[in-house]
Amino acid sequence: MSRKIAVSAVAAAALLSLAACGGGDGSDSTGGAVTLRYAMWDEVQKPPIEQSIREFEKAHPTIKVQIELNNWNDYWSKLQTQLAGRSAPDVFWDHVSYFPKFSKEGVLTDLAPLIAQDKVDTSIYDAKLAEGWKVDGKVYGLPKDWDTIGLFYSTKALKEAGLTPADLDGLTWNPADGGTFVKALQKLTVDENGKHADEPGFDPKKVKQYGLAMQAPTGQQDWWNFALQNGCTLQDKPWGRWTIDQPACVQAIQFVQDLRLKYHVAVPATVTNPPNGPSLDQVVGRGEAAAAMDGSWMLRAFDTALPGGGFGVADLPAGPIGKGSVYNGLTEAVYAGTKHPKEAWELLKWLTSERHQKAVAQAGAVWPGIPSLNDVFADAWKAKGVDVTGFKKAAEGTTMGYPLTEAADVYNVKALDIFNQVWLGQLSPQNAAQKITTEANAAIK
Amino acid sequence: MIDNITYDRSVQGHRRVERRLAARVRAVAEAYALLAPSLVGFLLFLVAPIFGVAALSLFDWNLMGAPSFVGLDNYRELAADPEVWRAVLNTIYYVVLNIPAQTVLALLLALALNRRIRGGKVLRVVFVLPWMAMPVALGIIWSWVFDPRYGVVNQALGMVGIDGPNWLTDPAWAMPVIASVNVWQYTGYTMLILLAGLQAIPHTLYEAAAIDGTTPMQRFFMITLPLLRPSLFFVLVTNTIGSFQIFDTVFVMTQGGPGGATDVLNFHIYQQGFQLFRSGYASALAMVLFALILLVTAAQFLYFRKRTVYDFS
Repeated sequence: MSRKIAVSAVAAAALLSLAACGGGDGSDSTGGAVTLRYAMWDEVQKPPIEQSIREFEKAHPTIKVQIELNNWNDYWSKLQTQLAGRSAPDVFWDHVSYFPKFSKEGVLTDLAPLIAQDKVDTSIYDAKLAEGWKVDGKVYGLPKDWDTIGLFYSTKALKEAGLTPADLDGLTWNPADGGTFVKALQKLTVDENGKHADEPGFDPKKVKQYGLAMQAPTGQQDWWNFALQNGCTLQDKPWGRWTIDQPACVQAIQFVQDLRLKYHVAVPATVTNPPNGPSLDQVVGRGEAAAAMDGSWMLRAFDTALPGGGFGVADLPAGPIGKGSVYNGLTEAVYAGTKHPKEAWELLKWLTSERHQKAVAQAGAVWPGIPSLNDVFADAWKAKGVDVTGFKKAAEGTTMGYPLTEAADVYNVKALDIFNQVWLGQLSPQNAAQKITTEANAAIK
Repeated sequence: MIDNITYDRSVQGHRRVERRLAARVRAVAEAYALLAPSLVGFLLFLVAPIFGVAALSLFDWNLMGAPSFVGLDNYRELAADPEVWRAVLNTIYYVVLNIPAQTVLALLLALALNRRIRGGKVLRVVFVLPWMAMPVALGIIWSWVFDPRYGVVNQALGMVGIDGPNWLTDPAWAMPVIASVNVWQYTGYTMLILLAGLQAIPHTLYEAAAIDGTTPMQRFFMITLPLLRPSLFFVLVTNTIGSFQIFDTVFVMTQGGPGGATDVLNFHIYQQGFQLFRSGYASALAMVLFALILLVTAAQFLYFRKRTVYDFS
């Protein structure tokens, strides 16, 4: 063990010292050509983006683009370490929960002068998306996409349970008895003897297929949605204090725990808990769950796992307060320390152009940051027999953005551990809510 | 070096001394020349970072903005942080689970393989194989093996009617699983060192003891064990240091969970430093780990120094 540690220590030290010297960032010019590094975290979106970038390279023969892919958990560790080592990727995906810190630390390029200089028309972007990335007249990113959460279901599982897609419309849940949402999930949950969860003799220990699968490192794809539908706002105000210990929030957390432990209609946390659990397209694709709550960015993954019309998307149920979904959008950002600001700006312009976003939307990867292209995305999926307009309706309805806070790092790290325990039944929703509220608030100065 | 040089009042003596001194200097210079590459690496990549970390532990720095000097604040905070104490206890718990099991198992294997048995050489390689594999890849594979629903372990237990636990998500089981994975991985390496130690023990000692009518048990405790001490000392010291630094298996299999049950010091340092970006605080924690290891290693040195024989002749 000692040798391995020594070797990795030396390697780490070597990396750090290289980073500190500002070398080893791979963006050296070779033979007049510039290599830009472009960082992202979603491998589902990578193929169509990569394809479009090849077009960009054809149009700009002196620029090469190297995509750096890391999953969500590693992405932020790595990016922030690279930022500290002054060797961050030239262009990268930025997220609203990290944006405040980045803009404050000056690691993002202000695009406003470049936009003015090249007369880029920013009115094409969704105003709601674009506004969030402006600080004191400075523009720190242009919209890449937007997303909401929906209920992805396997058409086969639905059919076997004798349900139609229409039966999933208008479902409601409540903290007391679970409502029609739980009743539908019970019909979709089958044990090894073929008994459904609403039938006598159902064995919750030997379930073959669960009604629902949930997985969310932060809460975005699971309990935040129920929280919103139950009148919980997570914070007292944007940039304010966390209020997860309020009854409306605790009930939402309790409901997600109940789906697993009381109603036995959701895949156990031993399977789905992040970061080691399989992604939900896999869980539904393998037939372990009939449906899953997931983000619109997962459509292509579900299409791969359940090809040829094997899946559909329904709206999330309505809660005591009504319908609602978490709504979020990403931006493309340029690293302030890039050695190739001109080329990086060219790449960013491409990534936020109608042409690129149209190509990515046509591939069905993600809802575009340019609203006029929304129909391109919807039509691409319609051609495959999947109606995705529910995501758009959700975005136009009651939504909740990502909580705006300086405690994003603390919330993300603590929430992962705390809620994993809740879903396992090792921590009560009340205690968990108090714990995360206290710890995240302690990180707010 | 100088002590060994005898001074001679005669001129010849002086010359002899000069010649010997010159030879000495040459030899020393040669030695340093040969040592230089690894010494430079050692200073640059090990010693310098240690001082760097020590200095950083007095600052508050999120890696991006300007660091601000906070004196001993980080140390005050960690002394009062229950999570740090939990991490220290978790680390010690891991070492206690890991080291005795690994050492005893490796010793038994080494004793078995020290005899001329069929396929001994093949077995030797087989036992060392896990040590050569990548810990991260192994961690992922072991996660599958211990998967509560689909894993081999619980499937096998299910066949004999036992409802296996949720190994990696049960706070009581997570650490023993991590420890057993590492015992499995590093026993072969430890065995290899001990085997080399066993083979260095002269046969004549056993023969003489046999003539004196000793039992095999007596020979083990009176010859093998005392003469194996240099090797045992080496594996105990290096493995203990390595165990205190456990990280990769935890990172891959549990991420410190469930509920902090496997949040060992090194993982806590990673989390503070590279997930929460409190690099000053993480550096202070690293100094604590460093001090802890130094203490334990010093104790091991003191214990073994008096009891170790290096020369068998």
